[in-house]
Amino acid sequence: MNQFLRSLTPTEQVAALFLIVFGLLVVVSTTAFFLTFRERRNPVHDAAWQAELAHYRKLLGTTWFMAVVFWVGWALGETVATVLFALIAFFALREFITLSPTRRGDHRSLILAFFVVLPIQFWLVATARFDLFTVFIPVYVFLAIPVASALADDPSHFLERNAKLQWGIMVCVYGMSHVPALLLLSFPGYEGKSAFLVFFLVFVVQTSVLVQHVISRRTQRKPFAPNVSRSFNWTSWGIGIAVASLVGALFSFITPFKFGQALAVSVIACIAGSMGHLVMKALKRDRGIPNWGKKGVGVTGANGLLDRVDALCFAAPIFFHSIRWYFNA
Amino acid sequence: MLAKLTGWLLLGIVRLLTGAQARWYGCPPKAEQRIYFANHQSHADLVMIWAALPEELRSITRPIAARDYWANTPFKRWITTEVFNAVYVERAATAPASAAPPAPRAEPEAPSAPARDRVAAPAERIEPSMEPLLPMDPPAPPMVDITPEAFDEVQRRLDLPAPPPPPPVAPPVEPPAAAAEAAPSEPAAAPAADPLAPLVEALRSGDSIIIFPEGTRGHTGEPQKFKSGLYTLATMFPDVVLVPAWIDNVQRVMPKGEIVPVPILCSVTFGAPIRVDEGEERRPFLDRARAAVIALRDV
Repeated sequence: MNQFLRSLTPTEQVAALFLIVFGLLVVVSTTAFFLTFRERRNPVHDAAWQAELAHYRKLLGTTWFMAVVFWVGWALGETVATVLFALIAFFALREFITLSPTRRGDHRSLILAFFVVLPIQFWLVATARFDLFTVFIPVYVFLAIPVASALADDPSHFLERNAKLQWGIMVCVYGMSHVPALLLLSFPGYEGKSAFLVFFLVFVVQTSVLVQHVISRRTQRKPFAPNVSRSFNWTSWGIGIAVASLVGALFSFITPFKFGQALAVSVIACIAGSMGHLVMKALKRDRGIPNWGKKGVGVTGANGLLDRVDALCFAAPIFFHSIRWYFNA
Repeated sequence: MLAKLTGWLLLGIVRLLTGAQARWYGCPPKAEQRIYFANHQSHADLVMIWAALPEELRSITRPIAARDYWANTPFKRWITTEVFNAVYVERAATAPASAAPPAPRAEPEAPSAPARDRVAAPAERIEPSMEPLLPMDPPAPPMVDITPEAFDEVQRRLDLPAPPPPPPVAPPVEPPAAAAEAAPSEPAAAPAADPLAPLVEALRSGDSIIIFPEGTRGHTGEPQKFKSGLYTLATMFPDVVLVPAWIDNVQRVMPKGEIVPVPILCSVTFGAPIRVDEGEERRPFLDRARAAVIALRDV
């Protein structure tokens, strides 16, 4: 099996990866579909069970959608993939701004953020101008945004408003733009397989967040920072990192890294991702909301995209820069 | 065809920028005749609520557009009539019409006949021709000269004597209302057109409408006092379901004076229908309607 996979060309390997993912999805979806025919004896339980199944199927639908989008992005090449991540960044920033109070004076800065900064950043990614892409937001934009705000002639909460906007750009645009940037890293002997690197990062980070979440649910330990997160504690955090890093290390065969290196970059990505998740939780508490959108019922209509991608937004830049620095890729 | 394409394009843009999410609390999206009444913070409210409605309802629901804003360029006029299928109203003219209703209440000698029939009657005669109604006019002339500026004072003044209605006791309290819109429509309609006439027309042809009873856009979070058009229409068409709606966040997308919209999520929350209670006065009803809209902000 392994020999067979190795004998494939990189493109075929990526295609095989998608085939596996879609195969799993088909199996799970078929099972879920047949489960809908099942009836519980107790009608109350049945209703609850059906509701849960419906929710689960909806989640599955989202997964299908994302998988198809990723597949289309990969099939149509790096440019399309970059546009895809630009769209995700756009929606995430939209959600972030919706839930951070802005004033009229911020209007021009917001236009700048959405329609100038975001496209330029992703264009820099698509054209692989790594030097400029790294400093564009932290240097140029962070100076330009307050200027636009100052020109709007509204001093109230000036620092706060600008900090929020800058933070939003940093997380949603800068962080997210590093995911497609991975596609452009070049490792010797790893040409055409960068899609695996993106998959690796997303997979490892999401695993760590998921494991951490499940463990903290199960063990009911005392939260370390209860005012920020009622589920965060060092034990489940450690277990989450360990499990995800091990999984990452086991997947080292799809990356250009050796086992130990894969373990190390996984640890780095997981720490960054889970800590980023915690930071975003603190931001949410500050805004007094449980989620960036609670299943689409919040009055803002936010649908919680940011909840899904915040860990990735923090992990991607650190992952990108650490491997770029270490491997000189 | 072109209108349809533009509609899709516009819908795509609105969804991309704002999500245009509809939240149905208290009533499902249903193809019955409705009057949606919502808070008004931006000209984009119209587009927002249009985009939030499901496709099937969009074609039978006509939003209201202020003529002075939505008809001042050929493109805007085309888009409001062809894409939104909007009903134009004159904003300047709404004031006198709203001012009028309270007047008849001053002399509560209104007929105490079966209320419902009487309510329906004015609907029939408002638009087509005014001649047959002239006999009914007498109560009207006194306030023909109410100017828009005097509107608020008049309204306040006339609101106070709300107690007078006691003479005609409980059941017949409603008739004044019935007479109310019969009367005001005449003075306004006689020279040009009753500002409510286009809405009445739309309702009579079976369409649902979307109105913004505040009349003008507010700058604060709180909606302003509701104008009486809603009450007039509600009493005129008692069978039409009144659905309150709260449009959230639109003012942030495009504040007054800006032209480029910013992507911020917006939602339209539809609440439980309300109706004019038996014998309910105009002002209490309007306040209740306003409260129903505001209550949706926090669900």
